[in-house]
Amino acid sequence: MAALREIKNRIEATRKTSQITKAMNMVSASKLRKTERKYRSFQPIKQKVKSILEDVLASNLELRHPLLAPRDIKKTGYILVTSDRGLAGPYNNNIIKHFEQVVKERHTSKTEYIVGTIGYKGFTHCRRKRHELINSESIGSRDEFHFIDFQAMSRAFIDLYLQGGLDKIIIIYSHFVNTLIQEVREEVFLPVTDLTRSTGERCFEFLFEPDPESVMDELLPIYLENTLYGIILDAKTSEHASRMTAMRNATDNASEVIRKQTLTFNRARQAEITKELTDIIGGANAVT
Amino acid sequence: MQIIIVTPDGELYNEEVDQVVVSSKTNGDYGILKDHMPIISTIDTGYIKLERAELVYYVVIINGVVQNHNNVISVIAQDAFIGNTKEQAFANLNEIREARVEENKKRNLELAKAERELKKQIKQTGAGNV
Repeated sequence: MAALREIKNRIEATRKTSQITKAMNMVSASKLRKTERKYRSFQPIKQKVKSILEDVLASNLELRHPLLAPRDIKKTGYILVTSDRGLAGPYNNNIIKHFEQVVKERHTSKTEYIVGTIGYKGFTHCRRKRHELINSESIGSRDEFHFIDFQAMSRAFIDLYLQGGLDKIIIIYSHFVNTLIQEVREEVFLPVTDLTRSTGERCFEFLFEPDPESVMDELLPIYLENTLYGIILDAKTSEHASRMTAMRNATDNASEVIRKQTLTFNRARQAEITKELTDIIGGANAVT
Repeated sequence: MQIIIVTPDGELYNEEVDQVVVSSKTNGDYGILKDHMPIISTIDTGYIKLERAELVYYVVIINGVVQNHNNVISVIAQDAFIGNTKEQAFANLNEIREARVEENKKRNLELAKAERELKKQIKQTGAGNV
């Protein structure tokens, strides 16, 4: 009987777990839809800032800015975009693994790079591994996030870059391809290289208030923060997708376990009954 | 003349206006009337005053770009808040931002605490070794 009860308990426990995972799956699915919509509606804004920036560059061909010029790389900054919570399948692990591999391949000592993390998971990992961190406390990647959440960090990186403390900044994040596929991606955050200086018909004569250089000084950080924001949105979308898939798999596995356990349970019950029957028949035979 | 103000959360304002005054802490003020030359400027912290007939509104902007082209003014801001007076709008926006920073700090602390507690519990009950 003890074995029977044990199996029954296990079935009950698995069923409860599967309820939780199923709920989490549904929560992630709705959050995924929401974030994806936000991500899509943000793209035009990002494009607009970029096109304004390109307008500035196009009308001032000799304009140079330290944030735009590549230089010799002595120290690299990495921004890891991870999640706050676990149970998202291989989401955080993939990013962290990729980062560790990159560090191993490109750097020989810990003084060659500095890390900024978004999300609690990345933060605790880097603290444990004793990577040099730019943020002393975790920057949360909450499900609804605002610019202000990570502004301090991005400004710190930009300032450090301008002072010459850093020569390149790379963001490592998970790009959302579709609900089943998310891939770890690297994007060069600084220096900005993907702006085109289009000369030609697009070139309007713009006035600048107060002058092109100051506009550039203000506009570039805004552009960068927008880029980062877009990337975090992308990463957030893939986090939800990853969690959704993981939770669906967990639910499927749980029902598989329940099926198997129920089979074992029934078999054990049958065996118990058969044993009792043979006992009774045996006893009856002995009496007569 | 049309003005479109967008933030990452969506479009905040999209209306016809007669006159716009752009004011920034570092650059000072300037006005835009109809058929102004194409202009690009930035606002670190400042406001935009919108005037139409008798109505006056203030939109407080943090980190934004203003572009005027063909009588369409597009403003892209990271944070914006609309109000009847600039003081009121400023106060509201600052309040929201400060509350946000505080909340983030609190959440971090709570998360760390909860995780420590959870780890302790897992150790004590020996969960995970089925």
